[in-house]
Amino acid sequence: MEANRGGRTFQRFSVDTNESLHFEPCEDTPSSPTGIEHDEDNVFMKEENESEMTSIRTRLQGKVAEMENFAGHLEEIFLTVEENFGRQEQHLEQHYNDVLQTLSQRHNERAAGLLEEKKSKMEALYNQLLSCGQALDASKELIETAQEIYRTPDKRVFLKTVIPIIKRIEMFAKEKVELTLSTKLEFETLPADLSDVKTMMDSINAIPAPSAPVINPQMSNSATQTSLRVCWSLFSDDTVEYYDLYYRPVLEDTPADGFCAPHVTTVKVKETHCTVTDLLPNAQYELWVTATNTTGISPAMIKQRECTSCPDAALIRWESGNTNPVDSYTVELSEMDTDGTQSTVTESIVAVPTCQCLIQLLSGRRYLISVRAVNVGGPSDKSDPVYISTSGTFFYFLEETAHPCLSISEDGFTIFYGDEELPISAMALDDSAFTRCVAILGDLIPVRARHYWEVEVDEGTEFRIGVAYEDTERSSYLGVNASSWCMRHILSSSRHKYEFLHNGWSPDLRITVHPVRIGVALDYERGTLSFFNVNLEQHLHTFQCHFRNYVQPCFSLDNPGSLTVHNAIEAPEYTFI
Amino acid sequence: MTLTPTSLCSADGCCSGGEVIESLGPNCDSLRSRMALTQVSSNKCAGGFQKVFEHESVELKCKMKFAVYLPPKAETDKCPVLYWLSGLTCTEQNFITKAGSQLAAAEHGIIIVAPDTSPRGCGIEGEDESWDFGTGAGFYVDATQEPWKTNYRMYSYVTEELPKLINANFPTQPDRISISGHSMGGHGALICALKNPGRYKAVSAFAPICNPVQCPWGQKAFGGYLGSDRSTWEAYDATVLAAAYSGPQLDILIDQGRDDQFLSASQLLPDNLIAVCSEKKIPVVFRLQPGYDHSYFFIYSFMSDHIKHHAKYLNA
Repeated sequence: MEANRGGRTFQRFSVDTNESLHFEPCEDTPSSPTGIEHDEDNVFMKEENESEMTSIRTRLQGKVAEMENFAGHLEEIFLTVEENFGRQEQHLEQHYNDVLQTLSQRHNERAAGLLEEKKSKMEALYNQLLSCGQALDASKELIETAQEIYRTPDKRVFLKTVIPIIKRIEMFAKEKVELTLSTKLEFETLPADLSDVKTMMDSINAIPAPSAPVINPQMSNSATQTSLRVCWSLFSDDTVEYYDLYYRPVLEDTPADGFCAPHVTTVKVKETHCTVTDLLPNAQYELWVTATNTTGISPAMIKQRECTSCPDAALIRWESGNTNPVDSYTVELSEMDTDGTQSTVTESIVAVPTCQCLIQLLSGRRYLISVRAVNVGGPSDKSDPVYISTSGTFFYFLEETAHPCLSISEDGFTIFYGDEELPISAMALDDSAFTRCVAILGDLIPVRARHYWEVEVDEGTEFRIGVAYEDTERSSYLGVNASSWCMRHILSSSRHKYEFLHNGWSPDLRITVHPVRIGVALDYERGTLSFFNVNLEQHLHTFQCHFRNYVQPCFSLDNPGSLTVHNAIEAPEYTFI
Repeated sequence: MTLTPTSLCSADGCCSGGEVIESLGPNCDSLRSRMALTQVSSNKCAGGFQKVFEHESVELKCKMKFAVYLPPKAETDKCPVLYWLSGLTCTEQNFITKAGSQLAAAEHGIIIVAPDTSPRGCGIEGEDESWDFGTGAGFYVDATQEPWKTNYRMYSYVTEELPKLINANFPTQPDRISISGHSMGGHGALICALKNPGRYKAVSAFAPICNPVQCPWGQKAFGGYLGSDRSTWEAYDATVLAAAYSGPQLDILIDQGRDDQFLSASQLLPDNLIAVCSEKKIPVVFRLQPGYDHSYFFIYSFMSDHIKHHAKYLNA
């Protein structure tokens, strides 16, 4: 069979790859010079032709295979372009929608403002009109009265009444009439603050995450016994910082349980090609590539000291960890077994809009919770996890509420009231800090359930411990107002006295054994706050109160000393009889 | 009509007393009659039953009545028992009609036994002369002086005879008992607990006579029942007993009305008891309740707190 393609050369298919697919022009096979076939006579010629044909055929087969590969390649490119387009379009639409929304909001605000201004101007003018009218009426009345008197026939009566009228007219004439307008006629035009709109517009041109690179098919003779050269390409205007190449051997027998997956090796690469070495001979490998740039976001950072929990829930707080805007956060949690191993099941809560999340949990378990930040580039890596145990109620102090004279231990559970005088400069602090009572609040999880914690004190410590509303007055003493309830210990000449204060009132109690470890039990539903001597399991007192809002544990030291909070303790049975 | 013990108990035969009697042979008949109770009244209350029984007392050598409240739980399970000792001039009726104890007892599944305050109808000369000595004023002691020593043995009655009788006739957990009382009964509850370390799981009192050897009531009663040797009185004085107490840890709850006329008349003297307990580290929570007097209105107001206090230990 002869391959006759006329005399054309083929178009070169080059698509900016390092290794382009080459198609060389096929050489024309020269036709037989004589034009006559002398098959039987020219055996050698026939054999020669045959071998030539075979070689041509082989070459052609090769070319066909190459073309098929290339066609497949083109398909991939086609799909990638579609994808990219789709993403860009969506991205653009969303961004412009946001901008339009903001602008429309601005417009509404300005229009409302203008309307307000108009109303007030009109009111002022109207009032002025009214008073002018009144002045006018008064003058008219006066003139008429004067005229009437003038017309009085009786001269004596006239003389009597004319003087006061003259006086009145004189006074009236002296009054200056306000003839200037009370308001300006022009409207003020404030310069529009559209800086955030500008930022939004600018960010439209932010770099999108790069699309997936495409690995080129393996070239023949590009592998040795133990190494392999891989090339890939990127078919868009993406900006890429670096590539990650992953590879792992494909095992003949895939294990039944699928757990012993072969090890995946990663190589970070700046170029679009890489030579992989140390491979096993006669093995098949699976390779894939990812491209990374800065559009992705960093993981959030959980704020350990601001996480609180109770038997039924946990409140996790974190920092965004990003300067770029974050769209939302995803919280992931998995339970830990009793032997400390992490469960494979991970639950997630998506589309968390702010940097905190209240999660419902089961009591008496242990969890690992982490957070991912999500933006247009996708989710970030997992943050460092926080460990939550739902045995008992757990909380730290709210450090910003501490009176300046209080210092907190490293572990965050002991407060100290030192003897030293603090300089005045240290006194001017947070709005939320206590200023007279040397007190601090705890950060109790806002869940209306039962909570229990214990406070350890020294024999000689004068303290107040209990609960208070978050907005309790910082310039007042705990228990003196209606927003706090506390047990107070006073030591007077080695005699212990106790008060259970709320709104400045306390019942009259004597307690014979001084408690050094006090259990505090809060029950929102029943509306009770109880105190116990933990060592004796002795009940001391219960407040009956209706908590209209959430309360925070409160602690204060009335003389230099310290106290330590113990929590995450399961409430003893007798505390909630 | 005499009801035999079996009709009052649960099927599993908690009448240990009855079983013991069977094995005693020829004396069993008279013993059985001693354990026999006659029901005087029964009223359904708070889901359970408030009953009054009468029996021939061995210690007091006369007929005695006592009240028993059986909570709903007693129909199916054995329950712990709270012994309530009433004050001067009371009978077994005052507590069950005025104190409002039944709802809390039903809630916590506790049997409450309330005996009378002294032997009655013994025909002793002078027993009805005063309201604070003799009839209705047994002071929970075992008298040693004539003519009282034969009948006036309220201490033994409350600590020995009555619990045996109760355990033989009702579905009780014999080792889970506690004691409480008002005024003279408060004194009775405190001394029973202090003289029997570990026997009562909890103790509480309303306006108790804390230091009888120092107050007019105590001096009159002890003088009459125990004679002039004051050292014999100390065995029945809560303040003195507390100073010498050694035994398992107690947890005493005391409520006292601030407007109690007997408090101001120095009959009750709680400060003496508190001082000793502070010194000896005996746990007491003493609450002075403003506006409250010595009456059952005061008891009613804080009864549920006391029953909760007892339940914590009885049901632990």
